[in-house]
Amino acid sequence: MDKMIYAILSVKNNQEKLNLILVGMNGIAGANLNMVSLDGISAVVSDIRRGELIADKSNALAYAGVIENLAQQFTLLPMRYNSLMESTDSIIKILKRNLNEIQLNLRKVENKCEFGLKIFCNSEKLRAEMKAKSVANTKTPAKPAIENKYSVYRDYLNKKLIEHRSEELLLTHVDKIIQDITTHLAQLNPIHKFKKMTTATNIIDVVFLLEKDKKEDLIHIVKDLQNQYTGLRLMLTGPWPPYNFVDITLK
Amino acid sequence: MVLYNSGSLNELSEEIGKLTSSKESRLKLTPENADSGLAKLVLTLVELIRKLVEKQAMRRVDGGLLTEGEIERLGETLMKLEMKMEELKKYFNLTDRDLNINLGPLGDLM
Repeated sequence: MDKMIYAILSVKNNQEKLNLILVGMNGIAGANLNMVSLDGISAVVSDIRRGELIADKSNALAYAGVIENLAQQFTLLPMRYNSLMESTDSIIKILKRNLNEIQLNLRKVENKCEFGLKIFCNSEKLRAEMKAKSVANTKTPAKPAIENKYSVYRDYLNKKLIEHRSEELLLTHVDKIIQDITTHLAQLNPIHKFKKMTTATNIIDVVFLLEKDKKEDLIHIVKDLQNQYTGLRLMLTGPWPPYNFVDITLK
Repeated sequence: MVLYNSGSLNELSEEIGKLTSSKESRLKLTPENADSGLAKLVLTLVELIRKLVEKQAMRRVDGGLLTEGEIERLGETLMKLEMKMEELKKYFNLTDRDLNINLGPLGDLM
């Protein structure tokens, strides 16, 4: 039997509390949950047969469910799905070897949780706007058009140039929104990570690490942003365990 | 948990579907389709490189550093590259969508 690790928790003097919580919970395939502890931290684990572990939706949800329940009571570092160790001894060795980094990361996420903000746009409309601006720019003297003499190759290149400029304008527009979000959120002092243009419609995907009690302030700020950018659709989710803010490569 | 959403729920689930569904953009390599699966993989890489070359070329044109003759030749080269790519896609029965692999949380390749 292998051990699957769900999360590493800062338990300090609350081992009894963790024990009680684990009794009422189940892991993947209904397995019992146990803890492996060392110096105020505990890894929550369950037994699993390596060959039987399938990466399907129900197992992933069961895994995430354990982490999210524990995150409501403890500061924790979620482990990546399918983090398997051979035995309790090998988990203790890992905890020992990485104790400093684990404690450092636990301090970073203490009393904080993750929120996600996805910003969607009507991509066809936005791209059409950028293209119109790009066409206008192509005719300005500052960026001379390459259409003095007609040739099929020049015509082709001119079209490509307009596409290129509209893409650049779109990215500048997205950067401006990111700048606005950063400015609005500065008062909450979050750690954030941005991704741009995840799909044609999802132009910004950002995750924040924030103090738990700042949730209402965050919702308020997102509503303000929505009022400012009426053509965009904003979706705020959370609170989540700090999935995107754990920075450890276990040795 | 959704704390705030300015779109409709249907719209939302459609958008999430786009982010998570990667079935169509996965490479399905089996002994039966090894040829076409490999062609899809190779053409995806070729298309990615072609687009990168095109982007770099546009930056140079935009920078105003090229002569009229160089611009003419560049247009001809890029146009022929795109036509050749279209031919290959048609030959292997592939569309633009087939050549855009979904990289999960990183989004689409192109």
